[in-house]
Amino acid sequence: MSDEQGTAADREDDTTDFGFTRVDREAKAGMVRGVFDSVASRYDLMNDLMSGGVHRLWKRFTIELSAARPGQTVLDIAGGTGDLAARFSKLVGPEGKVILADINAAMLEVGRDRLIDKGATGNIEVVQTDAQALPFEDNSIDCITIAFGLRNVTDKDMALRSMLRVLRPGGRLLVLEFSKPVSPLLGKVYDQYSFQILPTMGRLIAQDADSYRYLAESIRKHPDQDTLIDMMKDAGFMECRYHNMTGGIVAVHQGFKA
Amino acid sequence: MIQHDPVLISAALAAAERALNQAIALAPTSHQELDALSGTLLGIEITSLDLTLYIDIVSGTEVQLMMHCERATDAFVRGSMEDFAALAASDDPAATLINGGIELEGRSTSLISLQQIISKMDVDWEAPLVEVLGDVAGHQLAQTLRRFFRWSEGARASLKRQLSEYLLEEGRLTPPKAELEFFYDSVQSLSMRVERAQQQVEKLIAKAASNRKTS
Repeated sequence: MSDEQGTAADREDDTTDFGFTRVDREAKAGMVRGVFDSVASRYDLMNDLMSGGVHRLWKRFTIELSAARPGQTVLDIAGGTGDLAARFSKLVGPEGKVILADINAAMLEVGRDRLIDKGATGNIEVVQTDAQALPFEDNSIDCITIAFGLRNVTDKDMALRSMLRVLRPGGRLLVLEFSKPVSPLLGKVYDQYSFQILPTMGRLIAQDADSYRYLAESIRKHPDQDTLIDMMKDAGFMECRYHNMTGGIVAVHQGFKA
Repeated sequence: MIQHDPVLISAALAAAERALNQAIALAPTSHQELDALSGTLLGIEITSLDLTLYIDIVSGTEVQLMMHCERATDAFVRGSMEDFAALAASDDPAATLINGGIELEGRSTSLISLQQIISKMDVDWEAPLVEVLGDVAGHQLAQTLRRFFRWSEGARASLKRQLSEYLLEEGRLTPPKAELEFFYDSVQSLSMRVERAQQQVEKLIAKAASNRKTS
């Protein structure tokens, strides 16, 4: 695993990436919280604008891959504004359960209000928690999703091990995350978009260019497709594979607990 | 193996699903018919594109289109894009279905029932698909879907006729009525001749026995 993409350097010098900046490991969670506190109220609007609405399709395919069935328990980590949780709530039905988890209280508050507005409340629990130390019993969850959240976690390996612990044998993890475009040309266009247009949009719409600059930088520091597969295997996941979407700008990784 | 970007297919499916569910909402008479199919999962594999799609009839008011599903299907249709296009454009779809390259597994009645329900609705495939795929591809796909979901109009009678012709003439799996009657007559005549022969044999045996006694 390279310094750029991960955790080996983190373990050695007690610092970690916060976008393109190295910060103390202890400080990262608080700094990420600051970013999401700042963008929470306009997070979905910004997602729609930034992706041209395509994030809904990325999430739609992720939900299909979950194969969630009535009666199952689904944990949506970094579930923020609750769009995946609302869909899972319908799929698992009244006999099932959806746990909407996020480290950020502001995001959870927006998500909880939105779910109440949609009437999706009966089978949803809202939990503020850190993905690195999930407060759930071993072998208790059928499916875990983490959409656009793993890159903000300080110790991704620790988070993956925590997810494996709470999954039931045969249960699956789905990681939806920005990744590495497969075409160099698309990569160049995407870079221009991320570092020029994205912060400008953030400034105009959310009055917060810095937070959106962090989002773009954190995407570049996130492990690419194959590195994340290796990390999942190292954590103990089986049958790991990924699907590239929109030319690899985003990928959904899938792994099972044996 | 063709590598599909799931986003484009998801976009087309989301658009078609929206069009379908809007049409269902506007056709209350279809709700009961669809409700009878509730829980049914149909699979469509387009072999030439290496693509499988699923139609999940969630309830009487909702149909879901997917590109990934791990549940067992109730009916499964398999064929190339050309086969499906030929079926959609055919004047005699039942004949095309039987003679073409399309394979059908499972309960074909659910597929035909769904087609009949949808064919009675006024689904606006055009607008949402053009919005997602552009004028040319969107229009072509909308046209194919329109035709595909209409082929079942009158298809049942045609299917029955075609099936009977196929079994008789093409497959030679069942004999024609006249041939069958001739066969039955021949069997009956043979049976009578066997009976007569048996009586003759018995008479000859009896005669031989009495001849042995007298000599």
